[in-house]
Amino acid sequence: MAKKRITYEYTHDGVKESILRHARALRLPEGWANQISERIANATDKWIEDKDIVTEDDLKIFICKELDEVSPDIAFAYQNHDKII
Amino acid sequence: MSDLLSIATITLAGIVQASLQLSLGGLVLLYHSSMGRHKRRKTRYLAKNYIIGACAISFVIVCAGAFVIQHLFDGPMTQEWMMIIVGAFAACSLVMWLGYFRDGKGTELWLPKSFSRFITRRAKYTNDNIEAFSLGMLSAFAEFPITLAIYFVVANCLLNVKLPLLAVLIYIAIVSIPMVVLKINIKTGKNIIAAQKWRIKNKRFAKFFSGSGFAVLAIFLIAFWVI
Repeated sequence: MAKKRITYEYTHDGVKESILRHARALRLPEGWANQISERIANATDKWIEDKDIVTEDDLKIFICKELDEVSPDIAFAYQNHDKII
Repeated sequence: MSDLLSIATITLAGIVQASLQLSLGGLVLLYHSSMGRHKRRKTRYLAKNYIIGACAISFVIVCAGAFVIQHLFDGPMTQEWMMIIVGAFAACSLVMWLGYFRDGKGTELWLPKSFSRFITRRAKYTNDNIEAFSLGMLSAFAEFPITLAIYFVVANCLLNVKLPLLAVLIYIAIVSIPMVVLKINIKTGKNIIAAQKWRIKNKRFAKFFSGSGFAVLAIFLIAFWVI
């Protein structure tokens, strides 16, 4: 049986909010967290604009790469939050 | 001697159970998802309720186990049954040594994927104390295939001591140590990512410790309860 493919609409706010959640979990100052998440969401917007479809993994890899330059701790949290148990 | 031996067995069993990773992993998940969405105070209450839930299910299972053993054997278990438990510990020890964690960078355990996804999802959407309490119960219950033999041994020991309530409280206190230590660490300002990095760095040691713990428990039972 073929696996059902699930698709989601990409949103700037969705990316921003998910980065913000990880930043808050690290207790980063709210202003700094907002700045980082806005910056990464903008970079992701630019990266995605010429693509019709991207996989969730590609998106995650790109965001992690960008986050790694600004805050390795958030990058770690973003990359590993689903590998805890 | 019987009291002292029972308390020693309960302590050892508690240490082995405390070295298991699912309840602690669930708490890390809960902290991670809650700190991103809630205020610190609410996260603190959720964590507290999670720990109480994990302890409550262990308490209930051990007491129920003691009741069942009392009615099945009309007292503590026979030596033949203790040998079966020793066999279960030996099997658990092998399981721990050979493959408790999945390969890879994280601390994923060899749970069915659907089950670990379910716990992860529940942790993400836990918003009130009752949900945190039931998540704690669920995560402790999910380790049942490995902890079943431990519960039986502790329940059996409870039938041999003069103060069973005190003995079960000692056991629960030992089981909750890793979760309480994590809670104190977070309370004193460490972040959850530091704790997760520590878990990843030491996962081989945790695996070795748990496996050896089961082996030591099996040898201890043979030496003091079977022979």
